[in-house]
Amino acid sequence: MTDTAFPGTIDAPVGTEQESARLKADRRQERRAKRASASKQRRISRFALTIFLIVVSVVMAMPFVWMFLTSVRSSPEIYSADMPLWPTEWHWENFTVALERAPFGIYARNSFIIAAVHTISNLVLGSMAGYALAKIRFRGASVLFGFILASMMIPFYAIVIPEFLMIRFVPFAGGNDLFGQGGTGWYDTWWALLIPALVSPFNIFLFRQFFISTPTELMEAARIDGASEARTFVQIMAPLIRPGMLTVALLAFEAGWNNFLWPLLVTSSTNLRTIQLGLSVFRQEAGTEFNLLMAGTTMAAVPMIVMFFFFQKQFVNGFVGSGIK
Amino acid sequence: MSTNTVDRQTQSAPPARRRGATLTQRQGRWGLLFAAPATIHIALWTGLPVVVSIILSFTNYDMLNPPEFSGIDNYVTLANDPVFWKALGNNFIMAVVGIPISMLISLALAVMLNQGLRGNSIFRTAVFLPHVTATVAIAMIWLWIYSPGGNGLLNIVLGFFGLPNQAFLASPSQALPSVILVTIWQGIGLKMMIYLASLQGIDQQLYEAADIDGASAVQKFFRITIPMLKPVTFFILVTSIVGNFQTFDLIYNLTNGGPANSTTVITYQIYQTAFQQFRMGLATAQSVVLLVVLVVLTIISRKVTGGKDD
Repeated sequence: MTDTAFPGTIDAPVGTEQESARLKADRRQERRAKRASASKQRRISRFALTIFLIVVSVVMAMPFVWMFLTSVRSSPEIYSADMPLWPTEWHWENFTVALERAPFGIYARNSFIIAAVHTISNLVLGSMAGYALAKIRFRGASVLFGFILASMMIPFYAIVIPEFLMIRFVPFAGGNDLFGQGGTGWYDTWWALLIPALVSPFNIFLFRQFFISTPTELMEAARIDGASEARTFVQIMAPLIRPGMLTVALLAFEAGWNNFLWPLLVTSSTNLRTIQLGLSVFRQEAGTEFNLLMAGTTMAAVPMIVMFFFFQKQFVNGFVGSGIK
Repeated sequence: MSTNTVDRQTQSAPPARRRGATLTQRQGRWGLLFAAPATIHIALWTGLPVVVSIILSFTNYDMLNPPEFSGIDNYVTLANDPVFWKALGNNFIMAVVGIPISMLISLALAVMLNQGLRGNSIFRTAVFLPHVTATVAIAMIWLWIYSPGGNGLLNIVLGFFGLPNQAFLASPSQALPSVILVTIWQGIGLKMMIYLASLQGIDQQLYEAADIDGASAVQKFFRITIPMLKPVTFFILVTSIVGNFQTFDLIYNLTNGGPANSTTVITYQIYQTAFQQFRMGLATAQSVVLLVVLVVLTIISRKVTGGKDD
């Protein structure tokens, strides 16, 4: 910015015309040289910066590279005292061995079902509530919004025990009587995995923000045309916030796929384990066989990484907008 | 709503007004209808548990026998429990050490990225990836990187420089710093993206005006960039502290709180007390402490950022 010469410089008055011409040429040359050196300097610093950023990227990505490289190493190699950085042989069968030792397919299926259900339920329930709070005037709306804001502050770890007890003591479920006694309630069932996280207050808040910036005129026009409130919402208003829907969908899916604590608490059977829980359990199984553990880790991590590559912009916008994981 | 119906019957308002009333009435009903499912769900699965948590924290409860009222016994127990204080202290150390470091790194990276170099997006992807990846997977990777034998990546690097092998997670003195390093690595991406977004929001005219006044790049950074980033810095700080107090997956999978409680955190204590020792009353008292800390932090941040949520 500062390195380009100011175009409107006024030449100082000089004696003869010849002299002035020579001076002008000199100055031009000087200026050009200065500019060249400045831009050269800038190029060098940009080059250095690029190199630096490449180094940082490599350092940041290294754990993932290391995970992958380990997942294809042979067992003797990971136990050897001087393990080569690059695997000498590529043992892809580590993945099949890991799949034989633990049903990662079932784990992945379970996680996918949970993530998909929570995505859909957050989209439907969250957008309905967000729309009502942003666009419809009704009694108690402000109280309701205050309630949503307050719920957003509650950390999951502060309510996890009562939530667990509620699952355990659901009446008439899992052999329970009316008072939730005698059986196991929803413990170790799909209900326990799916119901408590159907909609998060934060997603309602996000939807409210998205709907606030939509034009109310469209809504009114639809009403005047005789559309019902439900139709106005589904056909006119909801399509307006498609990018927002994608953001919430990605956040909800990520939360479902990466969730660990809740499945750890409410499931005990292998068939209901999620991928992250399954990976955590597999660690005991694999023991020191880190090549197998890293093969399992790769399987648990890759779907989210692939999704991130596809929806990078939406992911980043969603997380930056929320600021919280 | 019901009062409106009564109004109509008793006062017999003019038809025009009546129709207006029914329209807003109808709308109001739809508003409640739209909001009801989510609200009921949150009241049941967030609101009710908060109340239950607070009530149970004043009881003795083991899930087998009905809860017994015990006054503030649980809180007294916590106040005298060195492990609980250790957990709080570890959370505090993680916040005080880890957050400023990762904030500084992410600010520096964001400023560099803001220069508009080529390959920007590849770089962003690499830095942001740890944030998207499940913490359990990340814990597994670092478990292997920190492997105390000669085959852990970090020990290979140390060996390259002629340094002796370290125990890392197995050492009571190195475990917490090792955990903090992972949280820094995992946390940089999001902070950097927030900083970057806010850097791009700074009015370019400020810099142009400074150029005209002959300000140097360093001056511009400290006199314009830093002050303009103050609100977002505060925002990142608070959300990071809130996130830090909810670290669980990493501790559970990386260290189990050990060795010798050197890496235990408040959430891990809640988990152990409730689901390994089944002292539900004591565990809910711990979770109420966590709740109070985080709610106070959040309220402060909302006040300071000027109720931007609204």
